[in-house]
Amino acid sequence: MATRTNSIGKSNGIRMSRRTFTKLTALGTAAALSGIGSVSAITDKFPMIASASPEEPGVKLVKSNCTHCAVGCGFHGRVENGVCTGIEPWLENPINAGSMCSKGTSIAEILNSPLRLRTPMEKVGGQWKQISWAEALDKIANKMKEIQSKYGPDSIMYIGSAKTSNEYCYLMRKFAAFNGTNNIDHQARICHSTTVAGLANTWGYGAMTNPWNDMRHSGLIMFFGENAAESHPVAMLHILEAKRRGAKFIVCDPRFTKSAAVADMWVRFRSGTDIALLWGIANEIVTKDWHNKDFIAKKTYGFEKWWDVVKNYTPEVVEDITWVPAATIRQLAYEWAHPPDGKPACICWAMGATQHTVGTQNIRAMACLELLCGHVGKPGGGTNAFRGHDNVQGSSDTSVLSHLLPAYYGLTEKDWKHWISIWNEHAPITYEELKAKFAEYPAGSGKSLMNVTGIPVSRWHDAVLEAPSQPNPIKMVFVWGHSLNSIGRTKTLKAAMEKVEMIVGVDPHATIAASLADRPDGIIILPASTQFEQDGSVTNSARQTQWRNRIVEPLYDSRPDGWIIRELANRLGFGQHFTYEDTARPTSDYQRMVSPELILKEFNRGSLGIMYRGKTPERLKAQQLQCATECNVFSCEDCQAKSGPLTGQYWGLPWPCWNENHPGTPILYHDTVPIKEGGHYFRTRFRATGSTPGNPISDDGVSQLQEGGYDQKNADGTDGDGWMYQINESFQSLIDQNICPSGTGRARFRAWEMPDPVPVHREPIESPRPDLIDKYPTYNDVADLYRLKTPYKTIQDERKNLVNEYPFILTSGRQVEHMGGGAETRSCHYLVELQPEMYAEINPAVAMELGISHWDWIWVENRRGRIKVRAYVTERVNEGVIRNGRRVEATIFLPYHWAGILEGVSYADRWPPGTEELAYGESANTLTVEGFDRTTVMQETKAALCKVYKA
Amino acid sequence: MATHYKFLNVIEKCINCGACFAICKDQNKVPHGTARVKIVTINEGRPGEKNIPVSCMHCTNPPCEAACPTKAIEQKVVKDWQNKEVIVVTVDKHKCIGCGYCGWACPFGAPQYPHHLPAELEERKGIMDKCTMCVEPFDPKKGEERLAKARCGLFCSTKARLGGDIAEIYPQYKEAKARSTMAWQERVI
Ligand code: SF4
Ligand code: SF4
Ligand code: SF4
Repeated sequence: MATRTNSIGKSNGIRMSRRTFTKLTALGTAAALSGIGSVSAITDKFPMIASASPEEPGVKLVKSNCTHCAVGCGFHGRVENGVCTGIEPWLENPINAGSMCSKGTSIAEILNSPLRLRTPMEKVGGQWKQISWAEALDKIANKMKEIQSKYGPDSIMYIGSAKTSNEYCYLMRKFAAFNGTNNIDHQARICHSTTVAGLANTWGYGAMTNPWNDMRHSGLIMFFGENAAESHPVAMLHILEAKRRGAKFIVCDPRFTKSAAVADMWVRFRSGTDIALLWGIANEIVTKDWHNKDFIAKKTYGFEKWWDVVKNYTPEVVEDITWVPAATIRQLAYEWAHPPDGKPACICWAMGATQHTVGTQNIRAMACLELLCGHVGKPGGGTNAFRGHDNVQGSSDTSVLSHLLPAYYGLTEKDWKHWISIWNEHAPITYEELKAKFAEYPAGSGKSLMNVTGIPVSRWHDAVLEAPSQPNPIKMVFVWGHSLNSIGRTKTLKAAMEKVEMIVGVDPHATIAASLADRPDGIIILPASTQFEQDGSVTNSARQTQWRNRIVEPLYDSRPDGWIIRELANRLGFGQHFTYEDTARPTSDYQRMVSPELILKEFNRGSLGIMYRGKTPERLKAQQLQCATECNVFSCEDCQAKSGPLTGQYWGLPWPCWNENHPGTPILYHDTVPIKEGGHYFRTRFRATGSTPGNPISDDGVSQLQEGGYDQKNADGTDGDGWMYQINESFQSLIDQNICPSGTGRARFRAWEMPDPVPVHREPIESPRPDLIDKYPTYNDVADLYRLKTPYKTIQDERKNLVNEYPFILTSGRQVEHMGGGAETRSCHYLVELQPEMYAEINPAVAMELGISHWDWIWVENRRGRIKVRAYVTERVNEGVIRNGRRVEATIFLPYHWAGILEGVSYADRWPPGTEELAYGESANTLTVEGFDRTTVMQETKAALCKVYKA
Repeated sequence: MATHYKFLNVIEKCINCGACFAICKDQNKVPHGTARVKIVTINEGRPGEKNIPVSCMHCTNPPCEAACPTKAIEQKVVKDWQNKEVIVVTVDKHKCIGCGYCGWACPFGAPQYPHHLPAELEERKGIMDKCTMCVEPFDPKKGEERLAKARCGLFCSTKARLGGDIAEIYPQYKEAKARSTMAWQERVI
């Protein structure tokens, strides 16, 4: 029979055949779930992509994607008699070539988990009670109406999810709009909001520039606050391949992470000093004249004013701030400017860089480092922000966010009108009608909250307990696929959850939305289907969209998210705007009335700002089919189809995908290839007062067009922002002339309108270095940031000498076995077997002084409270220094996936019976500091102070 | 002619992600507390940290087979998922008496003798279990035949673990090792 080499190519070739001979009889838990109907009829209009296993009658392999991180690994769900009995590798998926990590390989177990929430439940009189869907939805809708009329529409907070499909994320944002509020937000706020702000304000778009596979072509891969071996394990497939080809792999991290263990070089630096270290590197590069002057002159803006700031960060100055010896900084600079074989260098980060009070500025600094040597806009280079949740890129693109409309449109009248014109095509609605739903604030001012950013998820609990700038505080909250233990300050969270009038949880698991609040009633939880039980598209970190097929029909009494949204919309009187009927789906299909295909098309039509337009469901499915019927179509080197009818297309049609003829743009700002083949330029996005169409200028009057460049275009080729608003144009003629509709602008070293035009080092709110606070203070307090009072300087000053009381640096991060808040993974017994307990990493020297042995119980304490955890004695974290006879600056590391215990007391008994997770632990975020990014209100989880003692 | 199914681990690439452990559990329904493949970490938390996936290596001259008094362990020729005839080392759970000799003989400590088992697996208590190249699950049914398919290798995050026909995986292993720059470098701070 035919065998062939898998697309991963020579380097890691796995010979395999199309046919599978899998035979499985051990059904285990899955078999117990009989009574589930067989997989629904395959509709002709939108065929479901499943290949039968010819040798094994009755076994079907369904292509799907992992829901645990934004790598977007593909796999085959093995379906027998309508039951998912396991998974098989999808070896032709160019992103992962079959590989998955422990979370991915546990998917069948997670899907079939008996600990999932089975029916809607309501807490009444302190007891959990099963209720019907109709009753639950009626109660919720009635409560919504009550709150809206009594307190105003802004008193309901909608916390959406990065784990729902693009379609239902989009629907969720639209749902909040029809409820007259911008108080909708989700995990992207606390994940990569600072990346979006930092990158978009540098060169136009706020996304990972190059695809995962492209790192194979890098000469140097530098990690800053990223631990891919735990958070994005399959990214390491490509990174280690690059390394095998001769690339250098450098990890800069306060911890010796599992990624550092496979790196060429590891640099330990103090948490919260990223900008100083980056500027130390940049300073040395410019001093040694290693920067790319040609690139800087032609394509960037603000270098001189940038240097005025950066020249102060000499390696010696930086050594004092960051712990990194000046000689090491010089070496890093050399490596950055001289990657092996003349290949470009890429810089990668995740929460380690984003979750800081200076998160946005950290990202800006990394982008500037890319600009300095001209590494960006090339294969192998770029800024690779490794996003977290499987669809957090998609949920950002569809903008389940309190400051944006779908596709990153703002909240101005023009942007609202753009989307309302799209919505109006589906069911009649006018701008005035929608505006009437929003509150006026302050009353009588004539100002609508429609145009004001809403409450961010990182502070929604403050908006319950404090007085936000809106008519009333939050009174009701939807927790729709969000693990609240990933939000800072668990005790404040608990107080807020006890104060609101109603909590609605929507999730496959009960989660702490059901259990954290100690209250007898006012909680309703609804069982959402997992993504393996519904169809929809998912966009990974690299802007690649894949069509995720339903593997089995919804288990238990669970429902797809879209169905739930529509049912509520029906009850609230605007159901017609949320009805997308696909008559080809059977009437028994819960997605029949909320067809993901039709919803995606609506979103695509309005998504001009990022151009999802070419990502039609038909094209996404055609890619999958092609990948299923022929081997090695999509190359593992660059994700491009090299043969067959899709030749030239890039896997997942990465945006901007201008129209249905476009192959996708795998590498942002790659200006040496034509637009129609995926070329791209820095956007002409920034225009200070005085700019005119065709002449965007900075605040100091410098043109923002790159050498020989042009401004953004209308479809007819004139200058203007028409490319973002002309919904009836395809822009094909511009693309044929190789004109990039978003313009060819300059990337900015200096972003004049930001809180820090050029990033500067600012000590964290809780700094272990009182002596540096005066020189590098945090921001001044802000009276109203996303509707809330946000102190910076006041609390930093007040805590100036906190290190005397709390000497150690508290930071948090990931465990490979668990995901997010961990409700799914802590319910999976393989994963719990690998990682059964919450712990704190502590250096052996520190542990010895405190009389702590490995696995002892210890308390980690700071101003927010204390948590009782196991001591994991390891050199991964540093031992600190002795100052004034005391040990300070030792790092204590906490994984953040845990919940169920608060300050030593278990609240496991508050879970609805039968849904209790297998393993509980203290939440790291109990100790999170009250610090927020100045631009996006990202929470600071990586640098606070704490003390440790034996329990 | 049948070829040997083997594992080769490029340990410089193993990141201890646990995929091999989890897919093995999923595929073979191995109960809590027993593992057919496990990662052993040396120098944890400091330069020199290495992760080594440890499992039955399907030896060409298996010492466990020689040690087994009941001939429960044997090198068997089975079909693999690519329809090739391959040799794997299996254990017949109906013949095994749980004496533990194979555990003494095995250089890798691969044989497991699970004791804490749920009631429905009572008859497997103390009976040897180890990697079978996915041919036999933890609780095999009489007469059931599965195809050899080293899923831990196919799913491995970084392709550090190579499993399958030795003729296929050896060249991959050699290439990964020979050109690798994985060694911890002096430049570490
Ligand atoms: S969690 Fe990420 S790396 Fe692991 S299998 Fe899923 S998508 Fe792949
Ligand atoms: S080959 Fe199969 S049985 Fe053996 S360790 Fe790997 S997954 Fe487990
Ligand atoms: S799957 Fe591969 S990388 Fe992950 S632990 Fe196993 S051998 Fe190591």
